[in-house]
Amino acid sequence: MSKPKTHTLRVHATTANIAAVRDFVASHAEAHGFNTEDIDRIRLAVDEAYTNVIKHAYDFDESQWVSIEVKTDPRTIHVVISDSGRSFNPDGYQEPNIEERIKMRKRGGVGVFLIHKLMDEVEYRKQGSLNEIVLTKHL
Amino acid sequence: MSFKATERWNCVVIEFNGNVMGGPDAVALNEKLHELIDGGKKNVVVDLSKVKFMNSSGLGMLIGALTTMRNAGGDLRIANATDKIESLLIITKLITVFQHFKSLDDAVKSFE
Repeated sequence: MSKPKTHTLRVHATTANIAAVRDFVASHAEAHGFNTEDIDRIRLAVDEAYTNVIKHAYDFDESQWVSIEVKTDPRTIHVVISDSGRSFNPDGYQEPNIEERIKMRKRGGVGVFLIHKLMDEVEYRKQGSLNEIVLTKHL
Repeated sequence: MSFKATERWNCVVIEFNGNVMGGPDAVALNEKLHELIDGGKKNVVVDLSKVKFMNSSGLGMLIGALTTMRNAGGDLRIANATDKIESLLIITKLITVFQHFKSLDDAVKSFE
């Protein structure tokens, strides 16, 4: 059984850092004993959440910062992604009808849908001026 | 991501390689598809065997490519989706939108 641990990575909000962010979280998930399938799911959910911060919280302003915190306890991994940009309103989110979006030739809207499908729990929090999304997966 | 197009007698095989994440790759792919359409080649097989990672932007690029080919009167079919990519297509229900094949040969033959 692992003891509770926290690891933090702080990076500029740029797509150049996407692979580093994914790999940072995946390496801790692997060290914590998650199987390959779950690691792939966590990796993709983190990619989508980080990309959403770049696009929607910061409008591609690469001078801004994103913090990625990995917290593990014996049966669980929590990934907390924090930004100080525009907040996401989860109350306004509706699960997209993807086939309909294709027919209407609309792009986007799939990232949040994927995050919810890939993780066991997803929580949005506001800590002062910080927005946080907490992605949770159980072993 | 990089991609390589190889012409067969009844279709063009486009092999994706690396991380499929849309962005500038979507522009390059769109240009290639329009070049093919202008040359009268409207049937494409996308070989996904060398794809390491795909996110929602990559899926969007694939959907855009499918729409481009179907609007031109052709089709885009996929082959060799790894378990990881197939799982992504199932989660997003896109598995019903694309004709997908377990092997490149099967996908190419489907255009005969």
